[in-house]
Amino acid sequence: MSILRQVMCRTAPSSMQICVRYASNQDVAPLDLNTALARPEEVEQRNKLSGKITVPVDVNLSPISGVPEEHVRDRRVRIHIPPKNAMQSGTDNLSKWQIEFDNRERWENPLMGWASTGDPLSNMNVQFGSKDEAITYCERNGWRWFVDGDDKPKKERVKNYGVNFSWNKRTRVSTK
Amino acid sequence: MLAKCATRTLANVYGGLRAIATSSVQRSDNLFVHRDTPEDNPNIPFEFTAENKKRVEAILSIYPEGHKRGAMIPLLDLAQRQYGWLPISAMHKVAEILDLPNMRVYEVATFYTMFMRKPTGKYHIQVCTTTPCWLRGSDEILETCKKQLGIGVGDTTKDKKFTISEVECLGACVNAPMVAVNDDYYEDLTAKDMQDILSDLKADKISPPGPRNGRFASEPAGNATSLTEEPKGPGFGLQAGL
Amino acid sequence: MIRAPLVKALGALSSPTHQIQIGSRAVRTTAVIAQQAPAKAPEKIEVFVDDIPVQVLPGTTVLQAAAQIGVEIPRFCYHERLAVAGNCRMCLVEVEKSPKPVAACAMPVMKGWRIKTNSDLTRKAREGVMEFLLMNHPLDCPICDQGGECDLQDQAMAFGSDRSRFTDINYTGKRAVEDKDIGPLVKTIMTRCIHCTRCVRFASEIAGVDDLGTTGRGNDMQIGTYVEKLFLTELSGNVIDLCPVGALTNKPYSFVARPWEIRKVSSIDVLDAVGSNIVVSTRTNEVLRILPRENEDVNEEWLADKSRFACDGLKRQRLVAPMVRMPNGELQAVEWEGALIAVAKALKKANGQVAGVSGQLADVESLVALKDLVNRLEGETLVTEQGFIKGAGSDVRANYLLNSTIAGLEEADAVLLVGTNPRYEAPLVNTRLRKAYVHNELQIASIGPKIDLSYQHENLGADASLIKDVCSGTHAFSKVLEGAKKPAIIIGADLLERPDGAAIHATILDYCQKLKKKDWNPFNVLQNNAAQVGALDVGYQAGVEAVIKAQPKVLFLLNADAGKLTREQLPKDCFIVYIGSHGDNGASIADAVLPGAAYTEKQAIYVNTEGRPQQTLTAVSPPGMAREDWKILRAISEVVSTPLPYDTLDELRSRLEDLGPHLTRLGELEPASLSEAGSQATISKSINGGPIDVKQKELRDYFMTDAVSRASPTMAKCISAVNKQQRQNEQAKQSVAI
Repeated sequence: MSILRQVMCRTAPSSMQICVRYASNQDVAPLDLNTALARPEEVEQRNKLSGKITVPVDVNLSPISGVPEEHVRDRRVRIHIPPKNAMQSGTDNLSKWQIEFDNRERWENPLMGWASTGDPLSNMNVQFGSKDEAITYCERNGWRWFVDGDDKPKKERVKNYGVNFSWNKRTRVSTK
Repeated sequence: MLAKCATRTLANVYGGLRAIATSSVQRSDNLFVHRDTPEDNPNIPFEFTAENKKRVEAILSIYPEGHKRGAMIPLLDLAQRQYGWLPISAMHKVAEILDLPNMRVYEVATFYTMFMRKPTGKYHIQVCTTTPCWLRGSDEILETCKKQLGIGVGDTTKDKKFTISEVECLGACVNAPMVAVNDDYYEDLTAKDMQDILSDLKADKISPPGPRNGRFASEPAGNATSLTEEPKGPGFGLQAGL
Repeated sequence: MIRAPLVKALGALSSPTHQIQIGSRAVRTTAVIAQQAPAKAPEKIEVFVDDIPVQVLPGTTVLQAAAQIGVEIPRFCYHERLAVAGNCRMCLVEVEKSPKPVAACAMPVMKGWRIKTNSDLTRKAREGVMEFLLMNHPLDCPICDQGGECDLQDQAMAFGSDRSRFTDINYTGKRAVEDKDIGPLVKTIMTRCIHCTRCVRFASEIAGVDDLGTTGRGNDMQIGTYVEKLFLTELSGNVIDLCPVGALTNKPYSFVARPWEIRKVSSIDVLDAVGSNIVVSTRTNEVLRILPRENEDVNEEWLADKSRFACDGLKRQRLVAPMVRMPNGELQAVEWEGALIAVAKALKKANGQVAGVSGQLADVESLVALKDLVNRLEGETLVTEQGFIKGAGSDVRANYLLNSTIAGLEEADAVLLVGTNPRYEAPLVNTRLRKAYVHNELQIASIGPKIDLSYQHENLGADASLIKDVCSGTHAFSKVLEGAKKPAIIIGADLLERPDGAAIHATILDYCQKLKKKDWNPFNVLQNNAAQVGALDVGYQAGVEAVIKAQPKVLFLLNADAGKLTREQLPKDCFIVYIGSHGDNGASIADAVLPGAAYTEKQAIYVNTEGRPQQTLTAVSPPGMAREDWKILRAISEVVSTPLPYDTLDELRSRLEDLGPHLTRLGELEPASLSEAGSQATISKSINGGPIDVKQKELRDYFMTDAVSRASPTMAKCISAVNKQQRQNEQAKQSVAI
């Protein structure tokens, strides 16, 4: 049963395509006279006008983003996946990429003893689904960036309760 | 009205919840950390006697390579028998023999309640107070012990001769109430019997172990009350047709 | 499933050898070898986790199979890097057709299993376990240091019941356990303990110190040392991280901060040459604590105690203002301008007689800046404080690196340690060796003094001539090395400082040519300071002798605090400029002290002992008038009007790239090949020095090895705790003797 389901899942997209093609073969679309009789130049012109135009220019949002120039020019952004907290076993928030600005000085506020900073970007915590999204974001905002750490595949470990009691191995170290 | 309503709601709430029934927790009377005392500290040397060393060899030879640490409990027991109780230096000795870290021996020694980790008298009076013995009057036996020796449960007399412990079932319920003194079981006791046993022990006389009401073992006292007739022969109670 | 090869091997042999050699020999049996032999890759089996099919290797546990598709099963006792214990029961999950829930952490999956991690039964099981755990766990989260990063707290929220049925508080109350004193680093509040035994397993498996255990049983069970004893190991801090509740917490950090008020900055540790990845927790420009960061190639997820706890040394003994020595011989604080002008004046007078000495904590950027500055001033002498073999030994990278790599040592099956104590010189390299010892039947021998490495090893002796014996193949251990699949020889960096260091180096290098395998380089030098590899990479010479010979007029000390150079060895009119973070040996002999930034205060590259460049990040800003070291050097160059051609870190990094392209490939390892190094063998092979010694023999030698840890009060407490314990032991021994 399970195998069957898997096969179904795997073949689903391709079979759909086949169906669509099959359907289009059967009932032929009615001819559009305008396109059928148009000259090649006209078709080309029409194609050019349809759809969107992409302008291959780097977008720089920094002049209009309102971020002070000093904070665009001098800041370095670190793109990274937040490290797992060694104190906790949870891993839920470790899948997203994050940006982080270089650290600036903080001082204790004499009024309340809280931490003060002159850095407007220090609390900007933006998460991204992928590294590339984060890079694009930084480039659009004119920040220099670097990527720290790659998402290496996790090493597979064989965990085995039995080795705690194996008679000929050194894995039998503790009683726990 | 409102109060009534509130009570009813509360009753509903409580009724809906299953409360955990609890009895008072019996904590062990032993300490599970070691404190150095004049009687028990790592500086007191412990060594197996020459005779026991042979026993150690014999015990170790039972266990195959790779499983030598299985000899830990027998060795600890041997040490306890030699010393009367199990001082920390004896645990260290066992660890040394088995080539194990000390902690691994502490773990075992603290787990089992029959390893006595504090000074214990020469005669360890273990009074069973589990239900069958209790029903048959173990309270009285325990009271006798306490009164005659002048110590409480878990205490040792000044002359280091007696220690009283309250223990759980020792598996002689059919001869309840019972008391174990070191390895000997004294069964079917009355307060009088207990007094006799203790006064004998005070004089270092060991009274013969076993039931005190004339029974040989766990057979019925007096005559059998059931299955008294002759055994029926084969074919008893079968249909005639068979 | 995993057992299958073992069973097969046993079946094939009519009488399996049940002999195990006791002692330092490896436990090697036919069964083990049969397991190691590359069998056919086992076929993957399919299981379903919440109806999602997963392909896993046979023997994978339910928990791991679920983790493969990102389903996290709650756990307390299970830890990826520790043995499976299966005692907390939090990971119970329902498996279809199984009458009872199974413990996911210990149960290997079977083909076609349908695991339900979120079914009613599973949820109820978790709720029940949680209820039992909370029955004896105090509700003191508001005063608990773990609060906010506590697994029990998290999981009680996620999987626990929404109400309490706990009525026992009216009768007997919760269990109370006395706290243990296990040392100056780990604070214990044992009432909070949930008996997961992670700390016990860590101590006996990873640290190799069987001091922790469980005593008593049932409700009375306690975790502790039973006897009054400190849990003294160089890795003790890791039990704080492992503890899923607040039973073991960080003593110096206790009641200091809450996890939600601190900022975390990923960085690199530089107090040993491993380059452990760390997370620096800061609040208000103050480093509060340091935690390990996972890096499979370097530190896994452990951290040595010095790296973790010496961070309070970053706040003490700091140089906060530039100082210049006055004619009366006293150092006086001045403005930057005054200090730089004083240095510039001395440099002008020096006429090219300029030299530089770099120390333990110097980063690659400042090393390069110093090198460029000295070269521009027509100075040539640039050395590291720590010595290495004389001659051209440092020209070839493979000569001073840990070529087998830290992670690679895990796979080694025969290791020879020469004049090194990895346990204290690089604790996390030692954990790898121990891991190989436990899981890979590694056979280890050492040449040097008898030391405790936390695993059994054969001490061949301390005589230097043993190296010749082993390398000529006449020693018994040579057979082991030559027969091994992945042999490794690890030389201590301090050993190579000896007069016959070059001979030792060449002899071993020659032998390693013979031992090397495809994709395996057996030649290793274990550095013990973080700057050494970086300095040698950018072209520094090793050893201060060159400076003594050059007799410079101006000497730069870049973080050089080891005290190898004294005032007397230098000309009387030599102007010493110290650049560094702490007022230590270097600053005390300097004529001008320029306050630099410590490793938590700069973005800088350090190259670890295996040659892996990694960068620290700025966690806090340098105190007072202190500045980043390379910027100070840049400023000096400006004042002496030979400005260095870089104004920003990026420009400096591109200069680094010119010097060595590998230096800026952060986190990546450039393998250094041994083959070219073989041509070195021309050095005369006379090993004649005395017996081999190591500097850090005992735990007390470990805690203070550099300017930061020497300034740390916590490290001082550790040393006094070790001494106290030692005194007690000695007293005990004496009283036995009496």
